[in-house]
Amino acid sequence: MGIAEEAHNVRVIGSGQQTIVLAHGFGTDQSVWKHLVPHLVDDYRVILYDNMGAGTTNPDYFDFQRYTTLDGYACDVLAILDELQVQSCIYVGHSVSAMIGLIASISRPDLFSKILTISASPRYVNEPDYYGGFEHTELVELFEAMKSNYKAWCDGFAPLCVGGDMESVAVQEFSRTLFNMRPDIALSVAQTIFYSDVRPLLRHITVPCHIIQSIKDLAVPVVVSEYLHQNLGGDSIVEVMSTDGHLPQLSSPEVVVPVLLRHIRYNIAA
Amino acid sequence: MATAAAAGTTISDLPDVILSNIIAAVSDVRSRNSAALACRKWCLLERATRAAVSLRGNLRDLFMVPNCFPSVSALDLSLLSPWGHPLSSASDPALIAHVLRHAFPSLSSLTFYARNLSTIQLVASQWRSAEHVKLVRWHQRPQVAAAGDELKMLFSECHRLKSLDLSSFYCWTDDVPPALEAYPSLASNLTRFDILNPSFSEGFKSDEIKAITKSCPNLREFKAACRFDPRYIGFVGDEALVSVSVNCPKLGVLHLADTSVLLNARGDGFTAEDASINVATLIEAFSGLPLLEELVLDICNNVRDSGAAFEVLNSRCPKLRSLKLGFFHGISMPIESKLDGVALCQGLKSLSIRNVGDLDDMGLIGIGRGCCKLAEFKIHGCSKITMKGMRTLASLLRKTLVDVGVSCCRNLPARQCLKALEPIQDRIERLHIDCIWDSAQELEDDLDGVGFDLNCLDQDNDFDDDGMSKARKRCKYSYDLNMELDVNSNGYGHSVRTWDKLEYLSLWIAVGQLLTPLAQAGLDHCPNLEEIRIKVEGDCREMSRPREREFGLSMLVNYPKLWKMHLDCGDTIGYAHTAPSGQMDLSLWERFYLIGIGHLSLMELDYWPPQDRDVNQRSLSLPAAGLLQECFGLRKLFIHGTAHEHFMMFLLRITELRDVQLREDYYPAPENDMSTEMRADSCSRFEAALNRRQISD
Repeated sequence: MGIAEEAHNVRVIGSGQQTIVLAHGFGTDQSVWKHLVPHLVDDYRVILYDNMGAGTTNPDYFDFQRYTTLDGYACDVLAILDELQVQSCIYVGHSVSAMIGLIASISRPDLFSKILTISASPRYVNEPDYYGGFEHTELVELFEAMKSNYKAWCDGFAPLCVGGDMESVAVQEFSRTLFNMRPDIALSVAQTIFYSDVRPLLRHITVPCHIIQSIKDLAVPVVVSEYLHQNLGGDSIVEVMSTDGHLPQLSSPEVVVPVLLRHIRYNIAA
Repeated sequence: MATAAAAGTTISDLPDVILSNIIAAVSDVRSRNSAALACRKWCLLERATRAAVSLRGNLRDLFMVPNCFPSVSALDLSLLSPWGHPLSSASDPALIAHVLRHAFPSLSSLTFYARNLSTIQLVASQWRSAEHVKLVRWHQRPQVAAAGDELKMLFSECHRLKSLDLSSFYCWTDDVPPALEAYPSLASNLTRFDILNPSFSEGFKSDEIKAITKSCPNLREFKAACRFDPRYIGFVGDEALVSVSVNCPKLGVLHLADTSVLLNARGDGFTAEDASINVATLIEAFSGLPLLEELVLDICNNVRDSGAAFEVLNSRCPKLRSLKLGFFHGISMPIESKLDGVALCQGLKSLSIRNVGDLDDMGLIGIGRGCCKLAEFKIHGCSKITMKGMRTLASLLRKTLVDVGVSCCRNLPARQCLKALEPIQDRIERLHIDCIWDSAQELEDDLDGVGFDLNCLDQDNDFDDDGMSKARKRCKYSYDLNMELDVNSNGYGHSVRTWDKLEYLSLWIAVGQLLTPLAQAGLDHCPNLEEIRIKVEGDCREMSRPREREFGLSMLVNYPKLWKMHLDCGDTIGYAHTAPSGQMDLSLWERFYLIGIGHLSLMELDYWPPQDRDVNQRSLSLPAAGLLQECFGLRKLFIHGTAHEHFMMFLLRITELRDVQLREDYYPAPENDMSTEMRADSCSRFEAALNRRQISD
């Protein structure tokens, strides 16, 4: 097994002409795709992996320098594809991993025949002329909680703050999975996510994009999908599903799976 | 010094032969380990005489399999790490089998995790002379070519099989009859067969029970999960019951339970449908089983007016010591003081009754009078009994009763139950109660007229084994009543109560309720309590966040000798990651339950995390890992669920910790692929780190 394969718990299952890569978002692991995978294995070769920093990976492998920006994660994706000798794939990314896939496609557009993004956002924090969904003040509470957990963990006490403690319902929803990692890694990841701004890079993305999201996702307002659609360099299409929440593939698979299958099978009309 | 040595003989003066017999007789593992540390000679003797070993350790460290136990005849391989991993998928299965066989050459009893057919073949073929086999599998049954193939494989290797335990083996009911049919001589040699397994969705049908018992006429012990509900085709009823007694007359232990019961459903009263079992059949069945010592008939439908059958039970089955019944009504309906039904089974040492809808206080007292040797009494779901009846029962059985369990009885919430057990509070060793906290209002009712005036009951007592005169009995009862008017009581009629002999306490509590009222309810002082089991049950999906910050585990600090705990939140249902907006997820609940656990000086902990049923996930969250890591004295920790590597690593901070395992022993155990189960590599890294540390004792 290659280094990247082992570190990321890569699993390759199914068989078919095309390859699909399933990339989970932060705080979860490849098991979020459990409802989707059975529908793919008969027709596609499916690659699943765990992001570095996910609870299921070795925390010692988490390089804090490398992962201060999303580029580090994008390099991981390319490394996995390289090790598995993938020529071209359909990349399905959830939440922040969707952005990671888009970033990776800038340097290697040849590797991605299309990219599906689920609950993706290029920037979470609001600006005067941009609505990302979160105010700075809301995030203060989150960072306080993460720092408190970090301190507790360092001192040998139990880190007790959880997503449910947050005042803002939006922060609650988005961050609940962020508390699913070791406190130092969680703090680093939270900082990376909330300080990232992929908007300037959007126009350099030429790979076709299928933008999919829930109609009610407190972390990703519907306008964000529209923003992506307007600013992506290549072709894109938006579908807003009648689902609730940031993890629709787990909470409402009966709605999400057919939508994903349709976008995987069919391309954007010319 | 010389004079001191010459003066007394010490144990090391005993000849080896005697010393080795003494050590051989010690069965407790920790004691044996201590003996082995005493001196070299003892170590050799202990190793040479150890008869049973449960092997822990990671398959990757195969070279560490101990070779020093030549006398081991019972081996348990089901707990090897990674837990639940198929042996046949390891890197060199033949080598593993060879090493194990070499270390343990002659086994009569074997337990192993039979993940798939090839594992069964691999293991069973090493020890063909095994007479007792227990197969363990919590993962789903894999696809096999034909039903019964796995058992057939086992039978083909182990011809001398006498005892087979499938109670923790996830398979289908269809798998059993074909295997028995294919190996008729093995089947007829079986003396123990256990297929009482909650993983069967429906349980064995009547035809299957008939066929199985017919193939195995020499059974002494038979336990099976059946389908009793008459709405299903092929339900087990009169015919099957009789056939069991006809086919297997040598039965000493018979357990027939409905699968719905095995899933621990709580409820009381009568069901809508009656079972299709009549009293005449019961009598006939009992008549055919004269060697019966232990009987369990745990059904899910009513059997009405069954008292007559139990009256007969006592005479037809004189050896009967243990009886467990579910939904048998009319088992004790004494008219005036004439005992009837179950109360006539005087030889019973253990009685457990569930859902007897018409059992009232008088019936309960009848049991207390009749089953005068009862050491163990469990009652569940009997809505008519009250504190008075229970208390009288306790008084009557004061000499023998040491193990009591009361659950799901409407009129016996915790405080009432504990008050009822006052007559035996200095004798009782094991106790189960439901933590249903009543209001202070009910306290008022307690204080007047506790207990019955039993004197009037005794006039017609033609059932008088002990030869006690009626007059003396009368005095005895009134003395007991006087004891209740406690001189030391405070304003609430409640003094500090000491439960001197209580060693084991089991509690059931609904999700959201606090533990803190426990002491106030009556369990203030338990100086010898060593082990506690707490089961939390309920659906917290609709519930808002708990009002209090903590459940109250810290209150257990009141019990100074407590060192072992089972905390079972496995039947607490909630959302792991997908809680809808504004609703709480399980990490909050885990925090609520576990805060304070670090204050107890626990040495052993079994913990079942709450579950998200929609995704079959029972996983440790961040606060849980952090709080568990605060149990500084913990030596053994078993988590019955999954956990991330990130969180498992927290546990390394517990310096005394020496044995940890994730055991997904619930149905179905999540398959590796689609779960947050610790990846095999993570497991190995964790265990390597754990084992590398120096242990001080």
